[in-house]
Amino acid sequence: MVGDGAPSDGGIPNGARLIRFATAVLGNEPEELAAARDDLAAAMGGAALTDAAAVAALFDAIDRVADATGIPLEDVKAEDTAEFRAGIGIDDFAAASEKGHGA
Amino acid sequence: MTDISYQDLPWPVREDIAAAHRRAWERLGRPGTWLTGGEKVAIAHEARAALDCKLCRERKAALSPNAVQGGHDHAGHAAASLSALEVEQIHRIRTDPGRLSRAWYQGLRDGGLAEERYVETVGVIANIVAIDTFTKGLGLEPWPLPEARPGAPDRARPAAARRQMAWVATLAPEDAIGTADEDLYAGRASAAHIYQAMSLVPAAVKGFFDLVVNQYLPPQAMRDFDNEYRAINHAQIELVAGRVSALNQCVY
Repeated sequence: MVGDGAPSDGGIPNGARLIRFATAVLGNEPEELAAARDDLAAAMGGAALTDAAAVAALFDAIDRVADATGIPLEDVKAEDTAEFRAGIGIDDFAAASEKGHGA
Repeated sequence: MTDISYQDLPWPVREDIAAAHRRAWERLGRPGTWLTGGEKVAIAHEARAALDCKLCRERKAALSPNAVQGGHDHAGHAAASLSALEVEQIHRIRTDPGRLSRAWYQGLRDGGLAEERYVETVGVIANIVAIDTFTKGLGLEPWPLPEARPGAPDRARPAAARRQMAWVATLAPEDAIGTADEDLYAGRASAAHIYQAMSLVPAAVKGFFDLVVNQYLPPQAMRDFDNEYRAINHAQIELVAGRVSALNQCVY
């Protein structure tokens, strides 16, 4: 997963490692998940691994609450993030026209 | 009875997470507001079965989920039977949440699915996903579902709930003040939309946010950037959260 085209750390310590783990948690490749888990635990410690798993799992659930109820983004958040949401492609998500700001 | 414990793992799991999971499992088996304990357990079972559904796989791979028709691989559970509309709701939310639409939701409603049951079902799915994805991340098997307890739902709809910002009716914080559901917002006149999302069923909000504050952060810690509360810092937490939400194509 981490190789050509891999995300950088993005200025966040162990960022690529955390992204690899989060991606693997939502994926369907047990061997990659095991490798990502071991890599994260070895580099950051077991507590970091379990806290990262907790956050990934919680947002896997929060996303479903948001998408299934059709809540829009709060006005102030939409205004504050309009530029980078457009820049990184969030406005192109299928749900943007259904639940995005102003939908 | 399922005894949820993470003590035998090679990595430390905070006890507040384990305790929150035990409470969620205890709530899951109990009668809810619009669903019996048996129905809640059956919904949880179906949410797991959806991951092996052929129709869901084909829809997920299609340019549009509406392009693929057919029946779901419906597992069924002895605790309760679910309608075809409920099975469709559960499978789509579990397997393709980023492409849910207002028209899809309205189709379920027009077919006869009650709004209150829809919202409470969303809450059950959210609890199952939060815990099952956690165990998956740590390489564990999902916990056996709890036994359903007898009893009837209390069927209490917040008097001030109305259709406003979302597809579903919600209870606005300002409308809750002075009502029996005022405690949902602790008297505050505003709240994040994600907190209001399931407010048609206040118990669903309270139950799910018991997981939120333990797996993510309590409200007072979210914007306290002078202190760290977890083994990963604020930026690392938001990076993981953002990556998951991007993969799920969640606009919110």
